Amino acid sequence: MDTAFLIESAVKVCVVLGFILLGVPIIVWMERKVIGHMQDRIGPERVGPYGLLQTIADGIKLFMKEDLVPAQSDKVVFIIAPALTVVTALVATTVIPWGDTVQVFGRTIPLHVADVNVALLFVLATTSMGVYGVVLGGWASNSKYPLLGGLRSSAQMISYELAQGIALVGVILMTGTLSLAQIARAQEHLWFVVPQFFGFVIYVLSAIAETNRAPFDLPEAETELVAGFHTEYSSMKWAFYFLGEYANMIVVSGVAITVYLGAWHGPVLPPVLWFLIKLSLFLFFYVWLRATFPRLRYDQLMAFGWKVLLPASILNLVVTATVLALRSGP
Amino acid sequence: MILQGLLFAMFAGTAVGCAIGMVFHRNPVHCALLLVAVLLSISGLFVLLNAPFIAALQVLVYAGAIMVLFLFVVMLLNIRGESPLLTTGSAKGFGILFAIIVFVELLWTVLSPSTELSAPTSMLPRGFGSPAAIGRVLYTVWLYPFEITSILLLIAVVGAVVLAKRKFL
Repeated sequence: MDTAFLIESAVKVCVVLGFILLGVPIIVWMERKVIGHMQDRIGPERVGPYGLLQTIADGIKLFMKEDLVPAQSDKVVFIIAPALTVVTALVATTVIPWGDTVQVFGRTIPLHVADVNVALLFVLATTSMGVYGVVLGGWASNSKYPLLGGLRSSAQMISYELAQGIALVGVILMTGTLSLAQIARAQEHLWFVVPQFFGFVIYVLSAIAETNRAPFDLPEAETELVAGFHTEYSSMKWAFYFLGEYANMIVVSGVAITVYLGAWHGPVLPPVLWFLIKLSLFLFFYVWLRATFPRLRYDQLMAFGWKVLLPASILNLVVTATVLALRSGP
Repeated sequence: MILQGLLFAMFAGTAVGCAIGMVFHRNPVHCALLLVAVLLSISGLFVLLNAPFIAALQVLVYAGAIMVLFLFVVMLLNIRGESPLLTTGSAKGFGILFAIIVFVELLWTVLSPSTELSAPTSMLPRGFGSPAAIGRVLYTVWLYPFEITSILLLIAVVGAVVLAKRKFL
């Protein structure tokens, strides 16, 4: 616990935090641009080159807007709820390994903020805490549509968490560790997407539901719930919900890449760059899904989670365990 | 060591403060939230005790799943009133009785000579509190209690389904 270690940690925290907070406007811009082109439009183009500064302009606009708190709302909870969403998402980014170790001033520095030996559980725990932001926001608004959105979200996130967790157990069985850095190192020769293909598919599907993204964005289905849980929110509180959502997307994509897609491993280019390339491709995939698929109906969503994804993930777990047991011999 | 002491004071203080707040608050949703805060501080205490696995499970299972379901029910019932949840005398009496029983049990465990409260963490064996170590103990020494607990939980699940479905049969 020396001074150098404290400085190193502080620098890493600042870098990761800055990366996420600066990355979110770029992802938003990318999403609008990509969806625009997929729908044969141009997308934002007025502010800055290729409309790159559009999100910054939107951010300033949101900052200047009047911050409304409904008179009949539960004020304390109403204010805390959006912050919860952001905090839980940002805390989860601390355990994602962005690359292998690097040598700086003769010190070996691992490229993740905190090396927790239960990193995978830590990520699952923090994302499960993220439900509170949505549920409490919906409840504290004291209004019908937000409450319905909040209830939907809690049911949806709890249901898909199960399949997500059990899908990850397959990889944990293969590596025998919960540390994300060690799982990443184990994929130097073979990415786990090959032996754990079904686990990967289940993880990605439930991750989309977990982050409330289309086609599973039922908590904010505007065709039936106005704007779902954030109907009563305005200004920066509303922006916080979106910051949290996009930060969560970075977290689940980071975990998917680390666990299934070979983390920082790749030829020629430096490891961190590989990680960022994979991250961008994964986020592009997210946007692509949103532009392609219509929203599911609520009962379809729950039936899919409980009757398809959960049994499939358990089957995947049983098969993985059996194969591993047979291979290691009696 | 100073840092650990400060962290302990912070987590323990938050836990006790939020627990008191939970008991005395009128609004059920606020009570549930304060209970979540208690569970989070306890998980912080587990981290200080070199048990990150149990800390993560504490957050994942209690704070992340069970308490969300609690909130879910409270919201569906929409109990907004300022009236206390339990007003009848007998219910209150039972509550106080059980609280006293649990308190005496805890006191008994803490004060009994077999409990070493001052064991320094540096004396712990390597790998203490890791998932592997806990799993090994759970599936060898404590196998029967573990299996009995899981059957109890299964009975509760089946019971809930039966009770909920009875109306539609």
